[in-house]
Amino acid sequence: MAEEGLAKVEKIYQDRGGRAKELRAQGKKIIGCYCCYAPPEIITAAGLVPYRITGDVKETIREADSYLEAIMCPFCRNSFDMALRGEYDFLDGFVVPHTCDNIVKIYDVWKYNLKPPYSHFINVPHTLSAASLEFFKAELGTFQRSIERLIGREISLQQLKESIKLHNEYRALVRELYELSKPDPPLISGSERMKVLLAGTRVPVEEANELLRSVISEVKERRDVPPKKPARVLVYGPEIDDAPFIELVEGVGANVVIDDLCVGTRPYWFDVEINGDPLGAMAQAYLEKVNCPRTYRPRTAGRKEDLDNRFGYIANFAKEYKVNGIILLILNYCDNYEFESVEVKDYLQQAGFPGLIIEVDYTLMSIDWLKTRVQAFLEMIS
Amino acid sequence: MEEKKGGLLAGIYSRTIKTTDAAKKVRPLTKKISQQAHEAAAEGKPIAYCFIMSLHDEIIRAMDITPIWTENYAAITAVKRQGERFISSAQGEGFPRNLCTYCTIQEGFDVMRHQLGMMPPDAPDGGMERPTMMLGTGMMICDPRYKSYQTAQRYNDVPVHVHGLLWPAADANLAEVQDYYVKYIVEELRDLVDFLEKQTGRKMDWDRLNEIIDLANKTYQVWYDAYQLRKAIPAPMPTEDAMSTMVPGYFWMGTQEAFDFYQDLYNEVKYRVDNRIGVIPDEKYRILWAAGLPPWFALAILNYFESLGAVFPIEITYHPPPPVEIPSHAKHPLERLAWRFFKQWTQRNEEAQRRSGDPMVEWMLEMIEDYKIDGVLAHRATTCRTIHVGQIHQLNVLRDYVDLPMLILESDICDVSAFDEAGTKDRIDTFVETLEVYKKRKQ
Ligand code: SF4
Ligand code: SF4
Repeated sequence: MAEEGLAKVEKIYQDRGGRAKELRAQGKKIIGCYCCYAPPEIITAAGLVPYRITGDVKETIREADSYLEAIMCPFCRNSFDMALRGEYDFLDGFVVPHTCDNIVKIYDVWKYNLKPPYSHFINVPHTLSAASLEFFKAELGTFQRSIERLIGREISLQQLKESIKLHNEYRALVRELYELSKPDPPLISGSERMKVLLAGTRVPVEEANELLRSVISEVKERRDVPPKKPARVLVYGPEIDDAPFIELVEGVGANVVIDDLCVGTRPYWFDVEINGDPLGAMAQAYLEKVNCPRTYRPRTAGRKEDLDNRFGYIANFAKEYKVNGIILLILNYCDNYEFESVEVKDYLQQAGFPGLIIEVDYTLMSIDWLKTRVQAFLEMIS
Repeated sequence: MEEKKGGLLAGIYSRTIKTTDAAKKVRPLTKKISQQAHEAAAEGKPIAYCFIMSLHDEIIRAMDITPIWTENYAAITAVKRQGERFISSAQGEGFPRNLCTYCTIQEGFDVMRHQLGMMPPDAPDGGMERPTMMLGTGMMICDPRYKSYQTAQRYNDVPVHVHGLLWPAADANLAEVQDYYVKYIVEELRDLVDFLEKQTGRKMDWDRLNEIIDLANKTYQVWYDAYQLRKAIPAPMPTEDAMSTMVPGYFWMGTQEAFDFYQDLYNEVKYRVDNRIGVIPDEKYRILWAAGLPPWFALAILNYFESLGAVFPIEITYHPPPPVEIPSHAKHPLERLAWRFFKQWTQRNEEAQRRSGDPMVEWMLEMIEDYKIDGVLAHRATTCRTIHVGQIHQLNVLRDYVDLPMLILESDICDVSAFDEAGTKDRIDTFVETLEVYKKRKQ
């Protein structure tokens, strides 16, 4: 019997680009994407495979120092270092959305030095005005035309809608997966869930949907649920995109039952409207509904309303998943999160959820020091 | 010149010695900028926190809103070696030390003014007044431009407005994208004007705005022309002067005073060129100051270079934007601003697409040729990713086209503790020796 469920997840997780390489051998083109703002819908609709670019937390920088400054986001540096070592050679192209200053910079450096056969930069406005939505829609149109030039034909409206449907299905399955963390103890651990989500970004969406369905039914039936821990926590942060950090927290006395992370809930807590104009629908969904501090949410009323508008969803997660506290894992040199975390921590504290801010360098180098801090925090909130 | 030499011997931390009279006239202007804000506060007039290069200049002038340029204020505290207490105050609130120190000084200042309920004592130039609004920008680069003011609402609970200003990637097909980029900027500026009208209860006078844009364009032109004169050998005006002469252009644009300043600067530089008056008597090496913000507290490193016979005839940082042609159909002032912005940021894209792929590298290549450059120096300010991530790459690409010595020095814009005086001097000494080796080799 073919492997499925969590065993298959583990295989894809360990093998990283393995499935992508297989598909490539069969003639498929693989397009690497950074961050949450490049709609995979357009790539899938073109018959290409979107693949999320992540780093490798077990590796330190070997070659990237000759290309990128040490003051840069360590995730960007780490993922580029992987690329320099040839670990992304299976990509037929890469797409970089304008998420933050660091990501903008990675585009030029990657393109100049690695000369991928295809590359595209998608500009993403920082504001949510009507003009920003119109602009982003136009920019997604430019992206679509660039992909069409790559494949040598137009993407039909029908193909785009089909793709949106598949990705909506994936997002719905991810939300269902998180439901399995609501019981106490949760039916699935945070690190298992992280691996599922990573695996889901490394295979075509049809396979990811199958995979999630099999994981959900397996987990619902499983008897070996993660042990009950003294605390339930939410992990907040930017591109924390591997299981070890979550394992660390779970290893010292908490279940990570919910998160607000880039490889976590962030790109999945919405649907793209399927009726009407697909580019407009994607522009609206990605710009308005991906909750990242890189987007400025305008203040419409008083300070309290503004904070509710910006961070209320995190407090709602915390309530819904009955957490005892929040761990804010911030990457060094990630300006947006460094500015924001001060406010997030205070806001959640006032909402009754104590928080711990930890700055990490993306790798596992500082793991012992981290463990001590997390442990002390968990003892306090348990 | 004698006086200059004496200053140099006093070391890197000594006061920066300027060459031109124009540069010496700038400090009173920065004081005046602060003074104007103090007066506006006393009279209850609108005051806005602003960042440079965000297209606020002419708009706020036309609406008589008094700007406080928070970056400028942070740099002044750094020059006066007073930044540390504000950085520490921000750190106390939880802002990491690696955040842009222009912003952390502003945050730290806001924290102190908020906690004390008054201006922090002994603040340089009487301190920053509490703004009535804060105007950020969602730019292509520099995320702190909107995050910093958004966060500062913790201490100044006043309205914030952020308008988007984007330009395309270097490889974009301009014909395909330019219309929607410009339309976007126009609409975002319109939103900004709506916001300002609401905050001040005043109506924008579009004719006045057009006049101010005319004056600003004239000012950019004369400023640019003055800098073109700097191609002369010996160099008539050095980069340390440009770090002062940028002030009217970045903080006082759209005023007659700024125009007059650059007209005077033009005349002065022209006089020096005509009479072959150089920055130093025996100019041996000409170095390009590549993109990178300076260590405001240690600008005298440039004088140190001069003591070794090396001069910086030109710089990328704070260089006036080269004049661009605005399409004749763009008549509305916001369209004029939007086209100017878009063209300025994309004017080297097509060249870049043909050659290096990088518009900044193209600009440097132009300067290297035009200003007869012997070496390139970049300063890395470690708290600003916006400008300083990418320097290694730019120099790597540059090396594919020119064979010149290049050096990156590292410290910060405002954080004195990031500066290693002895190490910096050593690196400069070695760099100047390398310049000599290259020069001999080429001869
Ligand atoms: S982790 Fe932060 S700095 Fe890095 S890419 Fe994401 S948002 Fe940008
Ligand atoms: S460009 Fe750099 S120094 Fe200037 S405000 Fe932005 S982050 Fe700070």
